[in-house]
Amino acid sequence: MRDRTSAKRRHTAASLVVVLLLAIFCLGPLIWIALTSLKPAGTEFRTPLEYLPREPTVENYQTVVSSSFSIQTAILNSFFVSGLAMIGTVLLGGFAAYAVARLRFRFKFASVLLIQAAGLVPPIIIIAPTFILLKTAGLVGTLWAMVIPNIAYGLPLATLLITSFLSRIPMNLEEAAYLDGASWMRMYWQIIVPVAAPALISAGILSFLGSWGEFMHAFTVSLGLPRLRTVPVAILSYSQAFELQWSWVSAATVIALVPVVVLSVVFQRGVVRGLTSGTVSG
Amino acid sequence: MRRAPQWGVTNNLRGREGFRVGLLLVPAGLALTVFYYLPVGQSAVYSLFDLRFSLTPSADLFVGLGNYVDALSSGEFWGAVGFTLFFSLFAVALDLSIGMFLALAVYWVDTRFRTLLRAIIIIPWAIPNVIQASIWRWMFNTDVGLIGDLLVKLGIAASPPLFLVDTRLAFIAVVWAYVWKGASISAIFCMAALATVPKELQEAARIDGAGRVAAFFRITVPTMLPVLVVALIFRTRDALRLFDVVFGLTRGGPGGATETLSTLTYKTYFSFNRYGLGSAYAIISFGLIFSVAVLYLYRIRNQLSTTGSDR
Repeated sequence: MRDRTSAKRRHTAASLVVVLLLAIFCLGPLIWIALTSLKPAGTEFRTPLEYLPREPTVENYQTVVSSSFSIQTAILNSFFVSGLAMIGTVLLGGFAAYAVARLRFRFKFASVLLIQAAGLVPPIIIIAPTFILLKTAGLVGTLWAMVIPNIAYGLPLATLLITSFLSRIPMNLEEAAYLDGASWMRMYWQIIVPVAAPALISAGILSFLGSWGEFMHAFTVSLGLPRLRTVPVAILSYSQAFELQWSWVSAATVIALVPVVVLSVVFQRGVVRGLTSGTVSG
Repeated sequence: MRRAPQWGVTNNLRGREGFRVGLLLVPAGLALTVFYYLPVGQSAVYSLFDLRFSLTPSADLFVGLGNYVDALSSGEFWGAVGFTLFFSLFAVALDLSIGMFLALAVYWVDTRFRTLLRAIIIIPWAIPNVIQASIWRWMFNTDVGLIGDLLVKLGIAASPPLFLVDTRLAFIAVVWAYVWKGASISAIFCMAALATVPKELQEAARIDGAGRVAAFFRITVPTMLPVLVVALIFRTRDALRLFDVVFGLTRGGPGGATETLSTLTYKTYFSFNRYGLGSAYAIISFGLIFSVAVLYLYRIRNQLSTTGSDR
């Protein structure tokens, strides 16, 4: 009996050590950035290295929200782009998944293949023609040049995720409503959507974070204009423009990461389930 | 399990059924065509023309496979191919094994810490790639980078290494910066894979007297294999199209040593304005990734042919 409790206690202690070590691995770089952000501008280059800021300050945070930096512009842009793209992706992906998972039709295999194969197209191959297309449409110079393509970029994963969720629900779900003569649109919104809510939410979070982190396209269509920068574009241009002011870059990074870190931790279950939904049931 | 009745077919409204399916699928199909398939087609066309500073192909600019010949005889191109393949090999092997280790740790630790540890592991996954690169640029800073400082303090290096200047060290830096986040992505897959292993199976193996390690490799890994294969394919695809981390960390330097197929193509497009040659590069990298893609599609063919049964 005593042996068991001591073994248990040892496991707890060992667990604590493992958690701590893995936290250093996963969060160490982020903690280092956070510490750098508290060092007065210029002192981050002092040698020997100060692990903890000797004169901690929040000045850098004031600097990066001032008009010359304006990290908040980038964050608002990212919310605008990712939020609208998320709505579009979940809407279109939900419709497509509903058709694939719940209805019978010819060319189903071909349709699904078309949707999933798109996810394998490397971004580099579509970047130049997409730029030309958006320019011709007069969208370059606005945030819509990022919103609209990101709807498409989120679709393969979102559709796969919602399809695999819907195809696991028994078929007789809609039967009663169908026999009652409900229209298929009403059926989708009143029966499918509530049941598929977990999958729709996972798909939403993953497409939101996908657009939030998208860089190559946003960098290309923002044309170097500060008012069009999304978060990744802004952080990269700071880190290259202010090579010698890493306290500023770090403060901007910390602010910029808060939304995604909160989102991913709050929805960790949805993230894990969503990312792997296409893999587990196969 | 018994297959639920396919009510959609039992009615006689086949025409309306097709109309409904069309309405549901066309919006997504249109979006994917405009932003994926059309651009791929356009790039394929561009790659046959000698386009510089313009993207309007005309008959006198037609060079056939000339751009491909140029690509295949360019040292820069082969350098990028070599780096991309070499990088992918190391990065995928490392991030899957560290990811597996992280996932096993989540299962192994005291249940009280499980949610906390999972949250910690997920955080790097949420960091945008370019910010990940920028963070590691600061970590690898020669004068005041934390990594260099720790290596000196631990007595591994006499002075802080020139991570982003030395060719070989730059390779290590790119792989490490990539794997830091990659391991977190792989861990998410491995956690899902571990969840597919029935507890009884592991217990049975233990009762049979199999050691921990033997049970892991003989029972756990084979059961996880289907999910691991998908993870492997996903991670290989991502490594082969690496762009953000290199663009943010080394910009392909020093001297092109960390140039990937994607960064080289981007440079060819937007720095040298050679759209024809760039498109040829892009088509070739597409071919490379496509071979992995076929594996992936073959793997998920069950989902592809899902017929709405309750499977």
